[in-house]
Amino acid sequence: MGRYVIRRILQGLLTLFIVLFLLHYLMALSVQIRGNPAILFFGGERTPPPAMLAQVERLYGLDNNCYERTGDPCLVPFVERLQNYASGDFGTTLNGNRNVGELLGIYIPNTLRLFIFATLTLVVVAMVLGTWAARHRGRFIDHSVRGTTILIDSVPVFLILLAYVYMAAVPLTRWARDIWGTESFMGQVFRPNYNPDYPWTTILVPGIIVGTVGLATLTRLVRASQLENLGSDFVRTARAKGLGKMRITIVHVVRNSMIPIVTGVGYLFAFMLSGAVLTEGIMGIPGMGRMIFQAVQRQETNLVVVGLTVSAVVVVLVSLIVDLLYAALDPRIRYE
Amino acid sequence: MADTIRVAGDTLPGADMNASLLEVDGLRVDFTVRRKRIPAVRGASFTLDQGTTLAIVGESGSGKSVTSQAIMGILDSPPGHITGGEVRLRGVDLLQQDEETKRTVRANHIAMVFQDALSALNPLWSVGFQIGELYRVHRGTSRKDAKQKAIELLDLVGIPDAKNRIGHYPHQFSGGMRQRVMIAMALALDPEVLIADEPTTALDVTVQAQIMRLLKKIQQERNMGLILITHDLGVVADVADDVAVMYAGEIVEQASIHDTFARPAHPYTKALLRAIPRVDTVGRELEVIRGLPPNPASLPSGCPFHPRCWAVEPKKCSSEVPPFEPVADDHRSRCHFAKEVYRDER
Repeated sequence: MGRYVIRRILQGLLTLFIVLFLLHYLMALSVQIRGNPAILFFGGERTPPPAMLAQVERLYGLDNNCYERTGDPCLVPFVERLQNYASGDFGTTLNGNRNVGELLGIYIPNTLRLFIFATLTLVVVAMVLGTWAARHRGRFIDHSVRGTTILIDSVPVFLILLAYVYMAAVPLTRWARDIWGTESFMGQVFRPNYNPDYPWTTILVPGIIVGTVGLATLTRLVRASQLENLGSDFVRTARAKGLGKMRITIVHVVRNSMIPIVTGVGYLFAFMLSGAVLTEGIMGIPGMGRMIFQAVQRQETNLVVVGLTVSAVVVVLVSLIVDLLYAALDPRIRYE
Repeated sequence: MADTIRVAGDTLPGADMNASLLEVDGLRVDFTVRRKRIPAVRGASFTLDQGTTLAIVGESGSGKSVTSQAIMGILDSPPGHITGGEVRLRGVDLLQQDEETKRTVRANHIAMVFQDALSALNPLWSVGFQIGELYRVHRGTSRKDAKQKAIELLDLVGIPDAKNRIGHYPHQFSGGMRQRVMIAMALALDPEVLIADEPTTALDVTVQAQIMRLLKKIQQERNMGLILITHDLGVVADVADDVAVMYAGEIVEQASIHDTFARPAHPYTKALLRAIPRVDTVGRELEVIRGLPPNPASLPSGCPFHPRCWAVEPKKCSSEVPPFEPVADDHRSRCHFAKEVYRDER
């Protein structure tokens, strides 16, 4: 077990290192091909005096002459970048000269809130619907669950969000405010935009909407793995042992069907990252998704690299958790 | 202990200790496939006495496994339905009991050993947990005591170093050891009837013999009734007392093991016996039964075996259903020419 964990952690770190290097290399290439982003500091069009340009380049770590040689991997700045990250220094933004580390302190918790609500929605709804459909296999309930989840899943998230924001959010907020008051949970939960005073409440509904991404896939995964286990030989053994229905379901079916579900959730997590960009944009939530999107628009190279690094860390972390959950669930993996 | 003495709480209400241990009487099981009813077992009857071993022999699809599942009450329903007959344990018809009583009967009175122990054991729980589960659920035993009992059982079925093996998972055992775990699990609550459904099919030949000897030994020590379900007459030759041969959902011949081997009274049994490899027929080609078992959805008219029979009388066999009649004491056969086959005149 110990060796398994260590191996998975090392694999995760290696993946992360490779991602960081590729990001850095892509950034270096873009500077080498598209030109020096430090010029943006002067408004883009004007040609700044060389001394000032050099100063700005130093400020943003672009003063290495490897940036002038197309194809150079720029290893020295890469090592410097890693050292800076390790010491908690993520640089500053070109626009407004703000400390990126501080921005992350605001953005990461918001995105995390969004993901917590989204994952909970996805797992709970898919588990309930999938189990329900499995129990009524081939009947009306099974077909309606399948139809409904596919319908929900095939409508793009931003469409649901836009429909919610423009059609439902305002009347609902007005209605709730008249009954419970502005400062109550109900008064805030339907707001069409983010409110920094109520970070949890105002992210709840967008979180639930993001949670519909992949709902059909996961529901069918739950249904299929439960059906497989319900018809398995060891469930027949459990029945021959005179165990009750409840005990068979909880002890002998649910745990066994968790493995594909854990895989599915881990996989859908990466999908939700893309949902977060749209959601945070539409709902005005200051989170990682919106940050990356704006950074790309404004050509904030450093901010893009930091944002993608954070999302790479999240993906690696999630797959590490998935691997550890496998081991916790299945002894055959533990003693591999 | 000749007579099983039961602690209060798991005695079967209304049980008559003078009645036969297990009587199956006219059991019928249908399967519903695409709204059509297909008969899988068509009136099986047999009796199992305490301390004896009954072998139920037949090809795949003959209804032998379905019969055992119906007795256990673990038939998948749907598609399976018990449509008639009785299964009496000490005189009590199990089919008429409520779900709670049926649940108590399983494991407490009738236990089952399945064919493929690797898939029949839950891969995610240790064998100790899976054996101990029986004590904890049915007897309310504490986790610690249940574990102790599980160790004793593993010891009993001949698993070396039981104390350390108790925490291991099914995939860490060899095929033979896994089957021993299954047997230990079936024995946990000291049942009176043990049903072994092809217990050695997934094992290699040397291990097969060990498992058979173990089953026989335990059956004698505990004075249990043992039902062995198999497609291989050779495997049961030295352990069974009686044999019931099944074909197309019916018992076609029933006799003691000695009579079955010495003087079979049904052409099908005779053909099965000729298909066993023997030392004195080395070098000669092994006989096979031509054709395939009949499709239960469209059974042949008359005797269901007649299209494959080597002793067939076309007119009679394809039109009249043969009766199940005695040819000697405790020896019955379902063939129009049972007496001739029995006397080896056909």
